[in-house]
Amino acid sequence: MRGRMNAGLIVGGTLVALVVIAALVSFVWTPHDPTLVDAARKLREPGGGYLLGADKFGRDTFSQLMVGARTTLYVGIVAVGIAALIGAPLGMIAGMTPHGWLSELVMRVNDLVFAFPALLLAVMLGAVYGAGTLTAMIAIGVATVPAFARVARAATMQVMVTDYILAARAAGRGRMAIAGRHVLPNIASMLIVQASVSFAIAILAEAALSFLGFGTRPPTPSWGRMLQESQELLFSTPRLALWPGLAIALAVLGFNLLGDGLRDYLDPKLRRIRERTRRSERSGGPTKEGLRGVSEER
Amino acid sequence: MAMPAGTPVIEARDLTRVYRRPRTSLTRPGEAVHALKGVSLSVARGERYGIVGESGSGKSTLLRLLCGLDRPTSGSIRFAGQEIVGRRDLRFLRNDLQIVFQDPMSSLDPRMRVRDIVAEPLVAQRLPVGTRVAELLDEVGLPAAAAERYPHQFSGGQRQRIAIARALAPAPKVLVADEAVSALDVSVRGQILNLLADLIDAHGLTLVFVSHDLSVVRHVCESVAVMSEGEIVESGAVDEVWAEPKHPYTRTLLRAVPTLEGLL
Amino acid sequence: MKLLSVEGLSVRAGELELVREVSFAIAPGERVGLIGESGSGKSLTALSLMGLLPEGVSASGTAVLGGHRLLGVPEKRLKGLRGRTVSMVFQEPMTALNPLMRVGAQVSEVMTLHGRDRAAARARTLDLLDRVRLPHPAQIARAYPHQLSGGQRQRVMLAIALANEPDLLICDEPTTALDVTVQKQMLELIAEVAPALLFITHDLAVVASMCERVLVMYGGRVVESGPMREVFTRPRHRYTEGLLDASRLTPRGTRLPTIKGSVPSAGAFPEGCVFRNRCPHAGPRCETEPALTGEAHGYACWHPGD
Repeated sequence: MRGRMNAGLIVGGTLVALVVIAALVSFVWTPHDPTLVDAARKLREPGGGYLLGADKFGRDTFSQLMVGARTTLYVGIVAVGIAALIGAPLGMIAGMTPHGWLSELVMRVNDLVFAFPALLLAVMLGAVYGAGTLTAMIAIGVATVPAFARVARAATMQVMVTDYILAARAAGRGRMAIAGRHVLPNIASMLIVQASVSFAIAILAEAALSFLGFGTRPPTPSWGRMLQESQELLFSTPRLALWPGLAIALAVLGFNLLGDGLRDYLDPKLRRIRERTRRSERSGGPTKEGLRGVSEER
Repeated sequence: MAMPAGTPVIEARDLTRVYRRPRTSLTRPGEAVHALKGVSLSVARGERYGIVGESGSGKSTLLRLLCGLDRPTSGSIRFAGQEIVGRRDLRFLRNDLQIVFQDPMSSLDPRMRVRDIVAEPLVAQRLPVGTRVAELLDEVGLPAAAAERYPHQFSGGQRQRIAIARALAPAPKVLVADEAVSALDVSVRGQILNLLADLIDAHGLTLVFVSHDLSVVRHVCESVAVMSEGEIVESGAVDEVWAEPKHPYTRTLLRAVPTLEGLL
Repeated sequence: MKLLSVEGLSVRAGELELVREVSFAIAPGERVGLIGESGSGKSLTALSLMGLLPEGVSASGTAVLGGHRLLGVPEKRLKGLRGRTVSMVFQEPMTALNPLMRVGAQVSEVMTLHGRDRAAARARTLDLLDRVRLPHPAQIARAYPHQLSGGQRQRVMLAIALANEPDLLICDEPTTALDVTVQKQMLELIAEVAPALLFITHDLAVVASMCERVLVMYGGRVVESGPMREVFTRPRHRYTEGLLDASRLTPRGTRLPTIKGSVPSAGAFPEGCVFRNRCPHAGPRCETEPALTGEAHGYACWHPGD
């Protein structure tokens, strides 16, 4: 079951892969120690082993970017993980019992969290429990729960009205089995897409929090903090803001493109049409016959 | 389970089902829709019982109630002598009654292999699967290799065969077919109807056949109930209803169906 | 004098030929049925006449409607013809109307698009809704599609199709999604109002009640064509024969006649006669493609029934 590769998938996948590779390589090798402060290299221009130069403390920008990618992915994975693990089951429960009180409760709480700005939540948590990567991740994760719950609920409701769910019930399947065997596999693609988009949001949120001083604590390099530290030198040494800014922008773009690409690639409706079309013609573009096939059999 | 001959397999008494539309006002509850208004029917063991009606007639609601997939607002349904309304443990019903749906495209989970689809009723009831899938596929005229493939790799008629194999898996006593041939091409429809007839004979099944097409019901069933606006307006032996419809709605329905014989 | 004449119409998607060398004509006022199962190419044939083929699918051959060429002409010219000279009613009345626009506005829109002024269009809208036998046209015109039943929506579609008095009406399974009692009224209405009709369906009985002449398509080809009564009572092509047999529901307890196998997917039809892998009469000769022979009643079969 595979769709066609599309531009979004390829470009987005490449950008994301670059971030992942940079993060992985940073575990074993960076050009220099990213946290080593050296007054002699202060604001060193790019060149001679310092690919992108050094910052006001003499730390190698390229090395910092590599390790910063690690922080970025770490935050994204944990935040999205929290959001998915809480949001998806809640959404599925709500979607499987659309008129029950539980569903109503889940969705109303959802609205409440949705209405609460994620950054404010992070700042609050930071104020109470102390700022840090973990607090930031939890705050971003909790704030992203409603997005997952909504997608999961909408997708689940679509699946629940199909005859194969009715058939499974008639076969004697219980709720849990239906959720695990039928609903989850059929909504997984939409959750994956949501994860990818949420990842981009999490990256941005972490950068913003670090910029405000509520995110990753020094000395751990983070793209957001690199931006903040470059602020006062914005006009004299703009490259210090340029590189982390570019890294954030490209990573966010990458995950968004990947999300869109995956949507087209995995969308069950589109895929079914493509499968039919391919079956019915084997080459060339989609045919009207193929496109209408599903309804024409009725 | 053993039961004396002549006992109805399905016996429904005064079934009503009221749906409430979602409320549109804070002060008033949503509008009530009376999908079924007191329906009674009785299906004898081994009988082929047709239910005919158009969209909105209540036939789909009735079918869901009979299959234990929904609860009536009032009334009783006895399956093989046991009341199913309000009963939580419906395992005996899930074993003994199986359904074939209209659209084989949507009644088969696109993410499951045919093997898992056909075995689902067995797995759900914790019955041994063993070589059953291959036997069932053979019985509905599909090669054993079909088990490893996905539903979208089959044509409409083949998909309906898969759905029938699944329905037969737990060796049910009653088969419910919901518009089971309406979505199929004419040249395939006959194959599926013949297959159903063979299987019913071979396994001594009782059939409840729901359709909008009285002429198909006439080919398949001995008895028929004609539904309109939530009620059974006429019922009896198909041939009698066909030859001498008593209710005006049945007459309208019969006149409306174009048949080649009538037109040439 | 022919209203529509189609010569050698082929539709292809890349390498694949989905409709092959289809030729037929429709006289003014004539009602022609195009019969086929899913994948026969019947809908593609109709869409190519409307210039509505999807991306990547192209038509060749000639089709002339009342002096206007329909194939190989720029979209701009076709736009002027669609909805005015030829119009079409589709199967699904649920999705064919804009859910956010009042029904009346959708009917008058097709008229203003083709140059009628607003006031005249609005007045005519009520006439049209009345003509398709919708009760209380003024009320219906103010309604939104979701407030109408399936049958009413399909009547609105018909009103839209008739708005500019087209010379030819194409209907693609217009009643398949409707209840039988509603279908009957709809069919009677179409028969009454259609100027000339190309009626596409899989349902032989519906065709028999509607059309004077029929074309039977299978595997992208016209395999048989002729006067309805003759084709249905004395089919020559083995596919038509099988289809007619399969449509007749025999008494209970008897086996239904069937055509073996299933309709292949496009591109998987055999070379030569497209039906030969399912035909009980197929022989070595069928490996070469039979031409459509015969004058009024044509068939493309090496072993025709009598």
